[in-house]
Amino acid sequence: MDQINFDQTHEKERKMSIQESIRIVPKDGIALIEFDLVGEKVNKFSTPVMVRFKEVLEEVARGGFQAAVIVSRKPSIFIAGADIDEIRVMKKAEDFKGAISKAHEIFGFIESMKIPVIAAVNGACMGGGCEMILACDYRLASDDPSTKIGLPEVKLGIIPGFGGCVRLPRVIGYQAALDIIVKGGAVDSRKAERLGLVDGVYHPSLLEARALDFAREVASKGKRRKAYKPKGAMMAAMELFPARKFVIGKWKSGTLEQTSGHYPAPLKAIDVVDQTYGMSDQARALQIELEAFCEVAVTDVSKNLINVFFLMESVKKKTGVTSDVKAKPVKAIGVLGAGTMGGGIAYVAADRGIDVRLKDINYGAVALGLRHAREIWDKLVKRKKIDRYDLNRKMAKVTGGLDFAGFGQLDVVVEAIVEDMNIKKKVIGETAGHCKPDCIIATNTSSLSVTEMAKGHPRPENFVGMHFFNPVHKMPLVEVIRGEKSSDEAVATIFELSKKMGKLPVVVKDGPGFLVNRILVPYLIEAAWLLQDGMSIETVDRRYKNEFGMPMGPFTLMDEIGIDVCIKVSKIFHDSLGDRIMIPPVMKKLAENKERLGKKSRKGFYLYDERGKSQGVDQSVYTELGLGSPSDRLSADETIRRGVFPMINEAALALIEEHVVETPDEVDLGMITGTGFPPFRGGLLRYADSVGAKLICDELEVLAGKYGERFKPCTPLKNLAKTDRKFYA
Amino acid sequence: MSTKSVSPKSPRDVVIVDGLRTPFAKADTKLKTVHPAELGRVALRELFARTNFDVNLVDEVIIGNTGSPSDAVNIGRVVALGAGVPQRTSAHTVHRNCASALESISTGFDKIKAGMADVVVAGGTESMSQMPLIYSAEVTKAIAALGGARSPGQQLGALAGLVGADMKAIMGLLTTSPMARAPYKPRISIVEGLTDPFVGKNMGETAELLAKEWTLSRKEQDEFALQSHQRAVAAMKNGVMAEEITPVYLPPNFKEVVEADIGPRDGQSMEALAKLKPIFDRKNGTVTAGNACPITDGAAMVILMSREKAEKLGYKPLARVLSYAFAGLEPERMGLGPVYSSPIALRRAGLELSDMDYIELNEAFAAQVLACMRAFESDKFAREKLDLPKAVGSVDMAKLNVNGGAIALGHPVGATGTRIVLTLMKQLKRTGKEFGLATLCIGGGQGGAMVIQNES
Repeated sequence: MDQINFDQTHEKERKMSIQESIRIVPKDGIALIEFDLVGEKVNKFSTPVMVRFKEVLEEVARGGFQAAVIVSRKPSIFIAGADIDEIRVMKKAEDFKGAISKAHEIFGFIESMKIPVIAAVNGACMGGGCEMILACDYRLASDDPSTKIGLPEVKLGIIPGFGGCVRLPRVIGYQAALDIIVKGGAVDSRKAERLGLVDGVYHPSLLEARALDFAREVASKGKRRKAYKPKGAMMAAMELFPARKFVIGKWKSGTLEQTSGHYPAPLKAIDVVDQTYGMSDQARALQIELEAFCEVAVTDVSKNLINVFFLMESVKKKTGVTSDVKAKPVKAIGVLGAGTMGGGIAYVAADRGIDVRLKDINYGAVALGLRHAREIWDKLVKRKKIDRYDLNRKMAKVTGGLDFAGFGQLDVVVEAIVEDMNIKKKVIGETAGHCKPDCIIATNTSSLSVTEMAKGHPRPENFVGMHFFNPVHKMPLVEVIRGEKSSDEAVATIFELSKKMGKLPVVVKDGPGFLVNRILVPYLIEAAWLLQDGMSIETVDRRYKNEFGMPMGPFTLMDEIGIDVCIKVSKIFHDSLGDRIMIPPVMKKLAENKERLGKKSRKGFYLYDERGKSQGVDQSVYTELGLGSPSDRLSADETIRRGVFPMINEAALALIEEHVVETPDEVDLGMITGTGFPPFRGGLLRYADSVGAKLICDELEVLAGKYGERFKPCTPLKNLAKTDRKFYA
Repeated sequence: MSTKSVSPKSPRDVVIVDGLRTPFAKADTKLKTVHPAELGRVALRELFARTNFDVNLVDEVIIGNTGSPSDAVNIGRVVALGAGVPQRTSAHTVHRNCASALESISTGFDKIKAGMADVVVAGGTESMSQMPLIYSAEVTKAIAALGGARSPGQQLGALAGLVGADMKAIMGLLTTSPMARAPYKPRISIVEGLTDPFVGKNMGETAELLAKEWTLSRKEQDEFALQSHQRAVAAMKNGVMAEEITPVYLPPNFKEVVEADIGPRDGQSMEALAKLKPIFDRKNGTVTAGNACPITDGAAMVILMSREKAEKLGYKPLARVLSYAFAGLEPERMGLGPVYSSPIALRRAGLELSDMDYIELNEAFAAQVLACMRAFESDKFAREKLDLPKAVGSVDMAKLNVNGGAIALGHPVGATGTRIVLTLMKQLKRTGKEFGLATLCIGGGQGGAMVIQNES
């Protein structure tokens, strides 16, 4: 009984709060429509909000107002978009059709209203929010940095469905519209003004007053709406049918090339724009968009991309610890070793306003670290992402020297020196002696035990792992490695610091290769086995990249990492993980050639020019390794399974038996952000679930029979197969 | 030995916790592209690091600079923010020509003494490489006309005006001597900066005047210059200079690191010096580029505190500032400034010249230093010019500029004042001696002096 009562009160409160979420405030004949969702941080279009919005619009239409102005009362958010939680649970095309038709009806109502409707945008106006303002007669925006207008739908595997594909091209032209829709992009208010997406830009404090003035002015002149007018003869020519076909064809082929055909949404969006641009029957145009939307929305790709989106969002709320211990504030960090990793760490820290003190063994080495960071900022200046003042301010935060000068003021020190346990232990002990007692020292080791290394620290509770991935400024993953003695405070602080650096941290238990490298190494070694077994480098790389969807093939990746590093790590893994890691003879042979180190020596599986651009496979590698010319006799399926299934096997062990991480989510997050595992597959374990444990186990048994024991499925995977369970329960 | 009646230690004593500078590099060499604000930032940030200093403690940042770069006119603020000093903290720039960076310390001294501050960053920075050319008023007008032109016709007219003005400027450059002024000629700000605006004499000419009035031979001057180089090279080789220098990683590509001063010549010889022609009086002059200080880029910084604050924070200061003084004289004899300011500073400290264990007297010109030495020991000069009953005292060459001076190291005008205090303070520490005098002559006809006591 209690439960029912509670639900009833709850329902009543919910209704009340929805009433309050969109209000009409009359302002001298103008209806100010305020969005301020009760109990939510952001404004978004859920079903109840849409219902309420419709009521409000009808009330405004009846109320004898001269005009209406739509504003948000949330700081930094106008309307963030449609409620993704709702999209997530919808499975069938009919579900989508119902919801979208309602939106069409409401936005159509805005268009049909007799009085002018003006959107005054301050903060993020994305997806459904953007589609709503497109239905308004005029749009004004604030110049606050938070103001962004865009259509990110394709990033979730869907296309704009509330009329965005139809209305945006009509407002700003099909070319600029495609640029936003196909890339899932957003523009700031200055760019929006240039594109004609907004009709005026004002300081946030003035926006509402200006919007009201503007409303009065257009009301007095009678309602009219602006349509896109190409500027200049060139742009006008591009509107003509043959030119348009050509441009749209270019968009299609370019997109197809970039996505290897794994992402249907952007292509679908181009189709919709192509079919509906210039169509006089808007209802039919919207119908075409709706059907296209339903086609992509029900795909696994979309479901997976939405899951990945939630996965990444979930990190924002995490602290890295189960207790309520808080992270300590970090204003200044030290970085030991100013090499590629050290320089990259300096960049991500200083870029987010953290002071950085580099330490290395000579001035030249420190200078290299400074240069590394500077080059990244220089590129941003060239691309006009930052200006030279930003550059100077950021650069000023990075200093360096040869001794421990300044270490007494640091909150965290990240160690990124040579991978040698004894040297690291010694340096960590020495460093601790120059720091505040509560300074946390973190190691960026990729292969050594954090627990063992902690023995070098006089207060091992203040020691953790902080494993960045190369290149640091691009790879979002940080593995926060909890040593046996690491305190909650140390873990929470490094977790929070990673987030502050714009990274996605995952807490992992100490162990060989931690999470991601441990899963990745069997895959890289298997690529070498494929080479041994007569496969060509190009074919293997192409199959993984184009057919499976990895960002690059395994041989390209080994060249990036450095062949010597791969071999060294493989040996370490063989010693600690046993016979699952079997090093093929070709790899041993590779180790003999000290010139063939990968991209860094301009010669690996591929050859590289002085700027590091690939010049194609070094065909001499086959004879050097004593291999005949490659036969490429294995099927694409087998090529891919031989690399991917061992990763699943290793992940099952790491997750289920050894609890390196606690949830399949963390494995997938780590693999996507640390290795670029294709997001459209939802992550390694989502992919495994889609294939099924039984099939994977059976196939591994077959491979074990053909190629050796290294493929034997592990017990936890076999258990899943036996009981027909999934990684995601 | 004199009375040595310095005041007893007090909580409001002003102490120097530590100091640091960039290498001093002859203008148009390795530091030429580095903005003076950047030079200052590098020195200050590194000083903070080496002292494990909490930047939140700073009450005021005072930076000397004379060039006033037009893109950073209050350069003290730019240095402070770049070095990580909090935005809420006040920062300003001081200008007293060659003594700007002594002025920064003396201003800090006053603030701490007055109880207005407990922690002051003082220093100076200068890029003499980057001092600009100034367009003549006529050319400036032509440029403004071009900027203001709206129609193509106006623009064409304005362009013609500019080309015409430019041609006249080029003619002016070709037909007049380099330092002479002509209506259309661009003015070289560094030349103007080094010319006394009241009497119209170039600094070199003031040195020539002293050389003549005090009958200083070319040889004497060259010998002094040689000694400056030899001492500076020795200080460089035995690591003495490195103690006060932080390297500059050269932006933008950081392919090079400047670790040491660019100025001191290892192979300097009397023969080489003798070959140089006098610049300022070609016929009868004795002042050459070899026995004058070169124009230079560099920055130097110190942290000042009240004694009580330093003790509370657990810092062991290097020196106590006992006193300072500035005094004026005839602009055309500005080189004698130290003789005017030093006795006042010494009197305020309760000490005599003879009590000084080391003296840093800035070497603007060998002639000017030698003239100062003569004037210091002259009873006549003391009576006539200083209103003192007898000579200030004699300066022992063994105590003077023992690690070389500006003739070798260079004189980045807005930074030198702090550099000489820094060098002096480190020398006292190194040798365990007690008192030191840092003094310099100031363009425009002034002298500055500061007396410090070793605390380390």
